[in-house]
Amino acid sequence: MAYRQRLAAFFDNFEAMSKSTLASGAEDKKAALFEREFLPHLEALYNFALKLTLNADDAKDLLQETCLKAYRFIDSYKDGTNAKAWLFRIMKNGFINDYRKKSKQPGMVDYADVEYMQEGTQEAVYNLRPDMIRGKLGDEITNALDSLGVDFRTVIILCDLEGFKYEEMAEILEIPIGTVRSRLHRARTMLKEKLADYAAKMGYK
Amino acid sequence: MGKFIRWLGRTFGSKKKRCPEEQRCLELVRLMLDEESTPEDNAYVLNHIDKCYQCYDNYDIEKAIREAVKKKNRKAKIPHEVVNEIRNKINLA
Ligand SMILES: [Zn+2]
Repeated sequence: MAYRQRLAAFFDNFEAMSKSTLASGAEDKKAALFEREFLPHLEALYNFALKLTLNADDAKDLLQETCLKAYRFIDSYKDGTNAKAWLFRIMKNGFINDYRKKSKQPGMVDYADVEYMQEGTQEAVYNLRPDMIRGKLGDEITNALDSLGVDFRTVIILCDLEGFKYEEMAEILEIPIGTVRSRLHRARTMLKEKLADYAAKMGYK
Repeated sequence: MGKFIRWLGRTFGSKKKRCPEEQRCLELVRLMLDEESTPEDNAYVLNHIDKCYQCYDNYDIEKAIREAVKKKNRKAKIPHEVVNEIRNKINLA
């Protein structure tokens, strides 16, 4: 290895070491709090990131960004309060900021704004039977959920997959509880319409 | 009894003629399944879906969709290297 490289590595190491020893007291406490309060939710956060970004690499980045932000702002977290909701809110905000930047690029359409209602959907909904959902529709369920606009997808994920109460969802999404309720209702209707369309295409028998 | 009445409705009833309480009932069904409803809401829903096959089907479909969403969106395991990377970054932050 080149001498210069080794020297650079040494200084990198030295810098990191001195940084950690200098501020060790406060930093240790923060790291301990992070370990105890935040790490247990890492897997749930990762799954939320996957569902938001629909892409493993983006999910990894979003998770990392969320954790670093949480660590940086750990002083504003009140120990003993709802750590999971707090972390989910940070992730949601991080994602929305990125997403806005991207959706301002030409060619990106925000499907959340497009009302989904195909010709014949209402009839398909009336023909939808519980056993079709239980039996025939497999991957379609995941596709249907993932194809909802991000706002609608998010409320269903938070409620059905993460088991958050409406009040917690209001906190995470920073919207009134009445909006949580109506958005969730609309999201569930859209999901059902998509499933009904799938079922209609597959035939009802 | 409720089951028989629902069967009658489903077999001989018209699909186009919808229950006038359908929308309200569906809203309350969703609240009930989310455990966000009041005891009065629940009493109304349970009483109504016992008699109305359309609303009973709506309730059953709601339950089926929830089960399917949970089953088909199983939790992914977080890769070890992702956890380690985060740990390392935090320790040096
Ligand atoms: Zn009814």
